[in-house]
Amino acid sequence: MSEQSKKMIYLQPTPVRIWHWLNALGIVTLCVTGAQIRFPEYVNLFGTYKSAIALHNTAGIVVAISFVLWIAYYLVFAGTLKQLYVPTKGDIQSGMLRQAIFYFFNYFLGKPNPHHTAPDNKFNPMQKAAYLVIMFVLVPLVIVTGFMLLNIEPLRNTLLMIGGLKMVVGLHFILACCLCAFIFTHFYLATLGHTPFAHFVPMWTGWEEVEEEHEEQKQAH
Amino acid sequence: MRQLNKPMYLFLSLVLALLLGASAATAMESADCLACHSDAGMVGDAFAINEGQFDTTAHAEMGCSGCHESVTDAHPDDGLTPSKASCKDCHDDIHKEYTTSVHGSAASCADCHNPHEVKSATEVAGFDMNRQCATCHEPEEMTKLHDQWLPQAGLHIEALPCVTCHTGSENYVITMYLLQRDAKNRYSNFVPASQEDLAKLAGDKPVQALLDADSNGEISLAELRAFNGDPKYQGLRLWGMMTPEKVTHTFQILDNRWDCSFCHASGPEAMQTSYVAFPEQDGSYARLVVEKGAVLDVLNGTPDFYMMGATRSKWLNIAGLLIILGGLVMPVGHGTLRFLTRKNREGKGH
Repeated sequence: MSEQSKKMIYLQPTPVRIWHWLNALGIVTLCVTGAQIRFPEYVNLFGTYKSAIALHNTAGIVVAISFVLWIAYYLVFAGTLKQLYVPTKGDIQSGMLRQAIFYFFNYFLGKPNPHHTAPDNKFNPMQKAAYLVIMFVLVPLVIVTGFMLLNIEPLRNTLLMIGGLKMVVGLHFILACCLCAFIFTHFYLATLGHTPFAHFVPMWTGWEEVEEEHEEQKQAH
Repeated sequence: MRQLNKPMYLFLSLVLALLLGASAATAMESADCLACHSDAGMVGDAFAINEGQFDTTAHAEMGCSGCHESVTDAHPDDGLTPSKASCKDCHDDIHKEYTTSVHGSAASCADCHNPHEVKSATEVAGFDMNRQCATCHEPEEMTKLHDQWLPQAGLHIEALPCVTCHTGSENYVITMYLLQRDAKNRYSNFVPASQEDLAKLAGDKPVQALLDADSNGEISLAELRAFNGDPKYQGLRLWGMMTPEKVTHTFQILDNRWDCSFCHASGPEAMQTSYVAFPEQDGSYARLVVEKGAVLDVLNGTPDFYMMGATRSKWLNIAGLLIILGGLVMPVGHGTLRFLTRKNREGKGH
């Protein structure tokens, strides 16, 4: 393998880091309080049922507001939403497959990651696709269904139009389970950097240590 | 046949005449009373009686004079006001229970129960139960009062008759009833379906057949699903309320009802018993039992009845668990292979 040197890049701006950890705390709180709300005979981590509901509602509102701020930040202030989150034609045609082969095969053989992180290209093609689904389908839907469940009386007709209360509750629960599953996967994948904490550090400090490739290597990619 | 002597013959004739005469007089008396008192134009609203509703009450069996003992054949020309029986004469136990309750000094029996229309607790729909309370307890004010401690108070009051928490009923059952709205206007509000409208939909069958398609006296989950999925009934919805299993007149505030977990942690076991109450022509409701646990059906059994913490579907729980376990595939599966192949990455920056 050719010689590589390390360099530091500023990968995660402060607003993104604040949003990320607020979201992380919010989603974990929502998962745990949600478990108590659905299975109160088995889970009682927050004293009373009422306090679990109050915390769940508060965390839900915080996550919903932070989601709106996140969209606003990327769309308006940074303007990089499309560039970072929407897979390119190349990503779909070959990038995702290449990345999947790396994760499920080449990684075990010790071969290098085909994706090279940069501030304007933070996510590999699989990450892009996953985050696109999570941030633009799962999270908005879980927020919308949660908002409906907080306002059942005024939204009665809307609830009926989409199949009734159980449809909304069921959807909210299944989407929440998907987000819970995502957290486990997300946490694990974050340990796959060049050191187990390599991807955690930039989400705290903003700076990531990356391998600087020689020009000939870059061209080879 | 041995001949009866004259005094004995006279005595038996008298007994027979008295028996026949008395029964005829009672029947005649009620019919006579109602000939005038079923007409508000004749006796005024205050003394008018809905004959159809009165006939279905247990009180009708006693006849008018059972409670208004002093009424004479000359009424109303005699100028006397007929006596009224006290409820406690027959309902002594309930009277004792009620007078010692916090409610006892606030309202008399007749303030809540019209003796000429009174129905048993299972003959009224949940929303009817609250109508009586609402004559004194303004619903908006009650919602505000409950809002001080109860999350989504309006929603709770919509789904719970007051007496579910404010009588001595230890448990509750789910009683559903049909709501309807103008099928052509999807934005109109749902209101309790009338017997006449349901009868029109049912055609030549009884209204119960709208749900109990096989008329076996029990509504199965399959029948519920068929009803909810039938476009013919899109103007109808089944609305569920948690009604008390047994009503008392103690009107206390049950301590355990302050604790949300009384209902919400009661688990799927508490969701087993449910009924659908159908309106009858006389204004009462008749309940049909629903298959055990039908309200726990994932989506289409009772799409609008859901109580957090208890009405959870087993199949959705399994689906949720599988999804969460799917999230552990990478950490566990990939992690194991990662551990086993760690030597391949040594010194390569992984």
